[in-house]
Amino acid sequence: MDLLTAEEYRALAAELNPPTGAFIDGGFRQAASGKTFDSVNPATGAVVAKVASCGPEDVDVAVEKAREAFDDGRWSRLHPAERKDVLIRLCKLMARNARELAVMESVDSGKTIFDCETVDVPEAINFIKWHAEAIDKIYDSVSPASDDHIAMVVREPVGVVGLVLPWNFPLLMMAWKIGPALASGCSVVLKPAEETSLTALRLAELAMEAGVPRGVLNVLPGMGADVGEPIGRHMDIDVVSFTGSTETGMKFLSYAAESNAKEVVLEMGGKNPAIVMDDAENLDRVAAHIVNGAYWNMGENCSATSRLIVHEAVKAPLLERIEAHAREWPVGDPLDPEVRVGALVSKAHFDKVASYLDADLQVIFGGEAKDGFVAPTCIETDASSPQATEEIFGPVLSVLTVSSFDEAIALANDTPYGLCASLFTANAKRAIRGARMLKAGTVTVNSFGEGDITTPFGGWKQSGFGGRDNGLQAHDQYTQLKTIWIDLSDDGDEAVD
Amino acid sequence: MTPIFHFDGIYTPVLTPYAPDGSVHWDRLADVVEWLVENGVNGLISGGSTGENYAQTVVERIEIARFTHERLKGRLPLVVGTGAMLTDDSIALATDAREMGADAILLASPPYAVPTDRENALNALAIDRAANLPVMLYNYPGRTGTCMGEEFLDRVGRSRNFCGIKESSGDINRVHLLARDYPHIQLGCGMDDQALEFFAWGAPFWVCGGSNFLPREHVALYKACVIEGDFAKGRRIMSALLPLMRVLEQGGKFVATIKYGVTMQGIDCTDVRAPLKPLNKDDKRALEQVVAVVKRTVAAIEAEG
Repeated sequence: MDLLTAEEYRALAAELNPPTGAFIDGGFRQAASGKTFDSVNPATGAVVAKVASCGPEDVDVAVEKAREAFDDGRWSRLHPAERKDVLIRLCKLMARNARELAVMESVDSGKTIFDCETVDVPEAINFIKWHAEAIDKIYDSVSPASDDHIAMVVREPVGVVGLVLPWNFPLLMMAWKIGPALASGCSVVLKPAEETSLTALRLAELAMEAGVPRGVLNVLPGMGADVGEPIGRHMDIDVVSFTGSTETGMKFLSYAAESNAKEVVLEMGGKNPAIVMDDAENLDRVAAHIVNGAYWNMGENCSATSRLIVHEAVKAPLLERIEAHAREWPVGDPLDPEVRVGALVSKAHFDKVASYLDADLQVIFGGEAKDGFVAPTCIETDASSPQATEEIFGPVLSVLTVSSFDEAIALANDTPYGLCASLFTANAKRAIRGARMLKAGTVTVNSFGEGDITTPFGGWKQSGFGGRDNGLQAHDQYTQLKTIWIDLSDDGDEAVD
Repeated sequence: MTPIFHFDGIYTPVLTPYAPDGSVHWDRLADVVEWLVENGVNGLISGGSTGENYAQTVVERIEIARFTHERLKGRLPLVVGTGAMLTDDSIALATDAREMGADAILLASPPYAVPTDRENALNALAIDRAANLPVMLYNYPGRTGTCMGEEFLDRVGRSRNFCGIKESSGDINRVHLLARDYPHIQLGCGMDDQALEFFAWGAPFWVCGGSNFLPREHVALYKACVIEGDFAKGRRIMSALLPLMRVLEQGGKFVATIKYGVTMQGIDCTDVRAPLKPLNKDDKRALEQVVAVVKRTVAAIEAEG
């Protein structure tokens, strides 16, 4: 992807004309209440658009239309190959409009145009395409029952699913969820985060153009209490898949319990450790991974490396290299393709992140927070401080020092979260043992990463449960098992004999 | 549904009075505006087809809209028509509508080109971008050759400004479709002889050429159906109005009939621009008779309370 200049991106940003209505039943409309909210560019404070602020009434209509679409089979019973064609057409339309999506995403969220162009948009396309291509390649099974029976174990789309998205990867998380949900044949009622609704609405428009039938994909921008909770409590939604904070995720469990016992899939917070042992090879490379893990996407990432657990023997040289690498992460206008650290998503979130930097800290580097931007920061802290235990969701790396492998593993696991963990060591036995001992959904060895579309992603403990995004396992969230038991015995003949 | 703008009541598409030399007669236009305000209509439309927009230059249309806006002094909402063959002309009209402080724009499909729903929607969104005002859509396939279909309606909803539609197709199925599936777009009657049916389906407004000269009678139907919800009374008023509709909807004479109707109220608006001609003697007499009966009958129904 050839990147443009900052001036060219700013010119494109000025020309943006995002859809602003709720996308219900294949078209855009205002919220039933007529209310709107301002979508603000966090890098400038400018209002980008006034977006429909939906409420329970809109959720009801969208669910009704989604259910109608599911029941009449316009999508759910479409030939799998045709569903595949439509979704691949959507991917082509996304690719054709990639630059617009990237600029819209950057302006709406504060993410750097560099990331939007090179990661978010191409990955979102790739993820939907992967699930689309899987549609007609997933087989059901026949159980080894007796000769007198055939027992088929089949998966069927679950029905109407509620998808509730976070603001840190608006397009990418939408792709993670609508890819398998639509591939499975479900109807979708989706709530983007109120901070970042624009690309979700644009994607819905492209889906319409691609031929996703009306009612199958509905996008309802609005506040959590007005849209998220009604989705959680709706009696006619079969599954809710939520990505966001642990606090909100837990609310969805009680909504489900208090409504129709809908299935709930939760992808929530993390306080992810990176252990660097004294035998780690190539500290320069280790530092590059740590910096990427900690500061990518402004640290607004549930799988961000936020705790560096380092062996005392390599601490000094490693920190020196980390600081050197962090210098290559300039902070500034997200529309400047040279910038690696953009604005935090909102004023409120900036204030929260900045509050962690107010304390009397031992700052190794960084620490500046101003006008919505936070510089990559590295602090030395003790294991019980809020900076070491709470999810900051900003570019803040807390350093903890250990003197043994067992101490490192124990410290890494000493958290209510369990999303991701990294281990850097050249000792193969230690690497495999450590990978097994770390309590997290994804463990990377000698690298920072989350895997890719082919590998399931999800957390342990309070980082989530109920299902996995990515991989073929993602389809499980949106399908349900059915056993079809067929009696083949010929009782009539036996009676005659 | 709470739209960003309420098109409530009778919206009169104001005609354009001409001097014998074909120029706009500004004093009489001022008189018409004044007369409509006094007689209780709820909003004015400048530059609709009743205003002979098809026979005016863009510069003239903007001049007429500005004049109307100044005369109104904010007493009633003003909707400015943007329908044109060229998108650029529509955009120029939309831009000027915003600059003059109009309350909304009327947005029609470009005639003759026969765009697809998608093309038509992109055209409409481009015009909307220029105005950023509430939009009253104008679906009149009989004159544009294009129907604003479901794909069009789904697409234009990406902007919250699209909040009303003047439906002039005459197809009752369209009324059902709009009322049921597009409740977020206020339904407006644009087909005079179906006004009662539109009101029965909850339409809050009616754009009617006849209100140029019979404003009170048109308002009476609106009040009976929408304000009082008395459809028995509404049916009687509609029944009294139907002979008028018949006189109006005779190919080629719509504008001339309305202009003569206003002339009958004391503001001389007889002249029309080519290719149309003013009414002949027989047509004038037929209209005079119908108007007299409509006025008398509606007044009698109103007098019953």
